[in-house]
Amino acid sequence: MARLVGIFELPAQVAAAVKQLRDRGYTDIETYAPAPFPEVDDAVHPKPSKVRLMTLIGGLTGVITGYAMTIWMANNWQIMIGGKPFSSIPPYTIIAFELTILFGGILTVLGLFIFGGLAKFKIDPAYDARFSAEDFGVVVRCRDQDVAEIDALLRDNDATEVNLVES
Amino acid sequence: MTPPTDTIAGMIRPVPTPPDSQTNRDLLAVMKGASAGYWFLLGLALFFMHLAGGIWIFQVYKGLGIAGYAHPIFWGVYVVTFVFWVGIAHAGTLISAILFLFRAKWRNAINRGAEAMTVFAVLTAAQFLGIHVGRIWKSYFILPYPNQRGLWVNFKSPLLWDTFAISTYATISILFLFVGLIPDIAIARDRAKGWKKVLYTVLALGWVGNSNQWKAHNRAVLHLSGLATPLVLSVHSVVSWDFAMSLVPGWHTTIFAPYFVAGAIFSGFAMVLTLMIPVRRIFGLEAYITDYHFENMSRFILLTSIVCGYAYISEYFISWYSGVEAEQTSFWLRAFGPYWISTWVMIIFNTILPQLLWFKKLRVNVPFLFVLSVCINIGMWFERYVIIITGLSREYNPATWGEYIPSWPELGILAGSFGFFCTFFLIFLKLFPVVAIAEMKEIAIHEKAHGAQGSH
Repeated sequence: MARLVGIFELPAQVAAAVKQLRDRGYTDIETYAPAPFPEVDDAVHPKPSKVRLMTLIGGLTGVITGYAMTIWMANNWQIMIGGKPFSSIPPYTIIAFELTILFGGILTVLGLFIFGGLAKFKIDPAYDARFSAEDFGVVVRCRDQDVAEIDALLRDNDATEVNLVES
Repeated sequence: MTPPTDTIAGMIRPVPTPPDSQTNRDLLAVMKGASAGYWFLLGLALFFMHLAGGIWIFQVYKGLGIAGYAHPIFWGVYVVTFVFWVGIAHAGTLISAILFLFRAKWRNAINRGAEAMTVFAVLTAAQFLGIHVGRIWKSYFILPYPNQRGLWVNFKSPLLWDTFAISTYATISILFLFVGLIPDIAIARDRAKGWKKVLYTVLALGWVGNSNQWKAHNRAVLHLSGLATPLVLSVHSVVSWDFAMSLVPGWHTTIFAPYFVAGAIFSGFAMVLTLMIPVRRIFGLEAYITDYHFENMSRFILLTSIVCGYAYISEYFISWYSGVEAEQTSFWLRAFGPYWISTWVMIIFNTILPQLLWFKKLRVNVPFLFVLSVCINIGMWFERYVIIITGLSREYNPATWGEYIPSWPELGILAGSFGFFCTFFLIFLKLFPVVAIAEMKEIAIHEKAHGAQGSH
């Protein structure tokens, strides 16, 4: 197996190259981009990120924790304050709201770590400092006999450079 | 079957030194080196921070008696300054979250600076809760932790709501700032040497900008914005309920939540101007932070100034219209009583001076904006001073009326809070990009793409 990396200048070229590679049946494709471009990211991963599920779980956990904690604590040691009921929903809503945001936010960031594959410090050898300048990269894994075909395909899509990296 | 080896060998070319982009060079240059002026400012900020630290230790030793508290006023400069800094903290999240959701692209140049300002302002504010309560070693009593006495905190108290609001706000602002920083830290990592390389490698968490990471990042920023938008509006509402839930004349009003939120955004934008005008000038960032950005911020300041002015007027009107003598007296004495200077500073600086921003010439006049933003910061500090001090000094029974004069430890710690804030902001300037590089690149690449299409 071999890995090829094509260097591009514009997001539209990357999206087109990825689409053509997919159409020809290559599935192990990765892109590197200096900034977020939905057309590039969607070409590789068409489905929405699962981070949204994490926000939902966090938010629901927060709202349940908020109400459960306040109501349970107020009833665990009952102290009458201003004649108000022990389980007063309006003031506890504020706590529940804050915890919804807090847990939702923390789990969203956790989701970014998990689904974005962060906190892994081993950097792909195909990565290049140019991708944190203004260039894009398309990395394809293929059988050795397909190298020439992919090289031609990437260059047809205006790749400024195509390199082979160890797989 | 493998292709001839010489084909592969021929394709392995030595990678040339990465041609860096203009955006990277310009924005990373801010972090390089430090002039004598920078060290002087940092030294000054550190001096005030340590001065306040010393005064605070003295206060812990002597007790809260050295603050200017005198019956019936037991909320003084510390609470005023707490509310002031929480207010300042509102612009960052407003710019990052609300303007992000509204797709206001002009936020890109200023959001990082504003987010950093938010984090440091919240951290500054949070300290004042500890300073104000005096017995710092008992400050954890506010948290609902299991204890031998089997007692729990009172969740019906606005002070508890405040604890939850401020700690949530601090956490979310830090996460927001950090998530936005990750791609930029990776940019710095690829170009740093020595200990900075190690620091950025750890903080970048292995960011390479692949499709999975950007997808997750976009989604995370969107959801954090969605969560932070109601949060930013709720935090100062909750702070205002610390006052509005009581029965003190001048505090017990339903307008407090929107009034405080508008004031917070107003003061926050003013502080963004106060910080970003010198930053732009000193580091030559005119190409990124343009007059257009300052003009848009001026418009926000004008809008929120009018909302504040409306709140001031309606407070006075309702106190007169209510027919409640205590309310009427309280408001009369605000304007013409012993604290008249504070009241008129607040009215002139917050509602009258910003009206000059109706003129386009002044909206793009940077020195004018800087002076105005400093005036607004002073005016907004006095707004909180007026609300808290005049409210408490003139309650229902004239026999309990009293005066309050800030003491030197309070003023020293107030000065120190600016030192603390500036120390962290100055260190941030040298360690992290103060303009969001990846977001500026997004714009640059879009422009390049349109240029390329045009030439075809």
